[in-house]
Amino acid sequence: MSEQQYEPNVVAFLCNWCSYAGADLAGTSRIQYPSNLNIIRVMCSGRVNPLFVMNALQQGADGVLISGCHPGDCHYMEGNFYARRRFTLMKELLDYVGVDSRRFNMSWVSASEGAKWKDVVEEVVENAKEAGPFEQFRRNKINW
Amino acid sequence: MVDLEKLRTVARETISRDDVKYLIGWRQGTYGFRVSPCFIKEPGEAEQLIFSPLCTNNLASYLIVMEKLPLPRGEQPDTRKVAVMVKGCDSRAVVQQLIEQGTKREELYIIGCPCEGVLDLKKVEAKFPHILDPVTVQWGKDKIIFQLPEGVEEVPREEVLAQKCLDCRDPNPVIADITLGEGVQAWGNGEYQDVQELEAKGAEERWSFWEDKFNSCIRCYSCRNVCPMCYCKDCVLDRLNPSWVYRSSNVSENTAFHLSRAFHLAGRCVECGECERVCPVDIPLMKLNKKLAKEVEEKYGYRPGLDPEAKPLQSSYRPDDKEDFIL
Amino acid sequence: MERMKIGKEKFGDFLTALDKQLYAPQKVGETLRFVPVTPENKLDLEFSNTTVPPKSVLFPQVETLYQYELGKTDLNLPDGGEERVLVGVRPCDARAMAIVDNLFSWDIDDPYYLAKREKTTVIGLACSEPGMNCFCTSVGGGPASTEGLDLLLTDLGEVFLLQSLTEKGKRLCQEAEGTLEQATEEEVTSAEKLHQEAAGKIVRNIDTGGISEKLPELWDSSLWQDVSEACLGCGTCTFLCPTCHCFDIQDEAEGLEGRRCRVWDSCMFSEYTLHASGHNPRPTRRERTRNRVNHKYSYFVTKFERTACVGCGRCINLCPVNIDILNILAEVIKEAI
Repeated sequence: MSEQQYEPNVVAFLCNWCSYAGADLAGTSRIQYPSNLNIIRVMCSGRVNPLFVMNALQQGADGVLISGCHPGDCHYMEGNFYARRRFTLMKELLDYVGVDSRRFNMSWVSASEGAKWKDVVEEVVENAKEAGPFEQFRRNKINW
Repeated sequence: MVDLEKLRTVARETISRDDVKYLIGWRQGTYGFRVSPCFIKEPGEAEQLIFSPLCTNNLASYLIVMEKLPLPRGEQPDTRKVAVMVKGCDSRAVVQQLIEQGTKREELYIIGCPCEGVLDLKKVEAKFPHILDPVTVQWGKDKIIFQLPEGVEEVPREEVLAQKCLDCRDPNPVIADITLGEGVQAWGNGEYQDVQELEAKGAEERWSFWEDKFNSCIRCYSCRNVCPMCYCKDCVLDRLNPSWVYRSSNVSENTAFHLSRAFHLAGRCVECGECERVCPVDIPLMKLNKKLAKEVEEKYGYRPGLDPEAKPLQSSYRPDDKEDFIL
Repeated sequence: MERMKIGKEKFGDFLTALDKQLYAPQKVGETLRFVPVTPENKLDLEFSNTTVPPKSVLFPQVETLYQYELGKTDLNLPDGGEERVLVGVRPCDARAMAIVDNLFSWDIDDPYYLAKREKTTVIGLACSEPGMNCFCTSVGGGPASTEGLDLLLTDLGEVFLLQSLTEKGKRLCQEAEGTLEQATEEEVTSAEKLHQEAAGKIVRNIDTGGISEKLPELWDSSLWQDVSEACLGCGTCTFLCPTCHCFDIQDEAEGLEGRRCRVWDSCMFSEYTLHASGHNPRPTRRERTRNRVNHKYSYFVTKFERTACVGCGRCINLCPVNIDILNILAEVIKEAI
């Protein structure tokens, strides 16, 4: 498989109130952006459990994105603050174990930032492309 | 130095109190360098108690492993205190359990024992193999004194102490109802050397190191079961509905298990080293837990298990927490 | 029983001549366990015993029972894999294999285990320096016991003495005929002497006579509370016990494919007897410890007329809180008087 043919599979957890709406705005504004993201809508970025990230990587995601409201603007007041702490630690842990740090991304995208959403997606997909297909601890049926 | 006579007197007095159910301490084991946790219920049993470099077990694990069975009708729960002997690291585990309300302060009577380090049995048994008769070991000045069947041996402490003790910053119990002996000086400098060594390597080398270790894991769950901080009735890594991590042992599941467990301990692990000690296949779990302890200390200035009034790390935030990697 | 010998420097050639997948004790990190090796690997046969017993080869930690793919109708069934030889199995672990064979061919024949067992030849290594906590002689075994083995090696310094014990062992010797020589009378006698000396070096002994009858009478004894108080339910004793064979069956799915597999389980885990209703007939470590000791020394004896413990000492060496089976048995004997 040549570099050009590898299209990364990125799993994105978007908070319902800001990021999901922002992504939707990008869509209605007909902004073109890469289609590699598999979006999962959650009510708040604080709902995202690090187990989701581990599971996504195990099931074959080449990259993970978690996107929420800007700090201070969380619909549930503090959810994104907890998410920020949690995922700062998660990123360090993944990096320490040798997982390419470009695979794990986090962003703040508000409901009006359709343009920013395009930039975020492009950066995340570019990161995942550079990091290559994820094989390190993928659930691989060959193990069976 | 903890005087054994004083220890046993204090133990006898404690167990004679009406409001104490039993006392958890250490006693000589069944062979060689082993030591076993013991549960004293009568003053006469206090004679067995010892406190020496052999006392590796973290007795705080027993505060949360006690099963709470449904009571027969009409019976009231026995809320008398449990007396427990703790070293520095064990006392941090107790404090962390109190922070999380896993135990209640009024149900504990804590006997603090300032500790100058415990032995790494693997190093000791390699140095003095085949010792069957129970051995007495004492702390000396910068050395450990072994009373072996063939004579007394003095060994520099770096050669036989557990790595966690050589890096220890909290040898004195941080919480106690009574403390036995004088406070001791800490040796650790908080630099997390072994973590830094691994961090300095490239990503591929790091993955190759950890892949090897996770491959050898047999998913015995000993690390989780001995941990004083792992006391969920229903461990999420064991659950079947939903099944986050399968129970089979391969690189994928084992990595998910260990990283998830390390993450669950972020800001909670008191670095007592029990997980690494019990692992039958010698996975260096402390390297994983210490990495997160280092990050938590650097980024949030927090060390778990020191202040019983502190808020748990992952249930709190500051508006100005770092976010340099966030797009 | 044929007695052959082979010089240590020729042992690699012997193994090459066998032309089968070899498993031998090797250090994986810091831990000694049975792993696939090639004859070129330097085999270090100077060890007390492996941490993980050789049961991990025939009864692996995870074993696929069947795989499926949505849309297809074929299932792959076990065929035991390739022919394999286990080298360096201690007599206690070999007896354990004989015990586990009983279990897996009891009410139904377990096709997975038995298919593998059929294709496995076991080359044992007699102990000359028993470990400190070994007590094989107290449970009917010995440092040179031949049960469960196809070939037994004795280390005589410069050479290994080889005893062929079964048809499989004989066939193996025939395949590697060129590397073997006839052993002399002297060598045979000195091997026997080594075996006796080794048995004499075992320091921990206990008389296990009558224990299987005494145990059921002690069901309500307070000794179980005393011996199990320190237990943390970690499961190390069961995972490293060569005769423990409990397993859990799990289903794993990955998109349109999946498998059913079995994984090691432990009676010392609190969820082991947890019912779907929430009731647990063995709710505390006291009941689980009592069950474990009873299983090894009483229930198994009732079913199969032999103790399910081979005296390898791993549970004693590795229990983090020093729960010592010999200590427990001594308490049982004391209590029963």
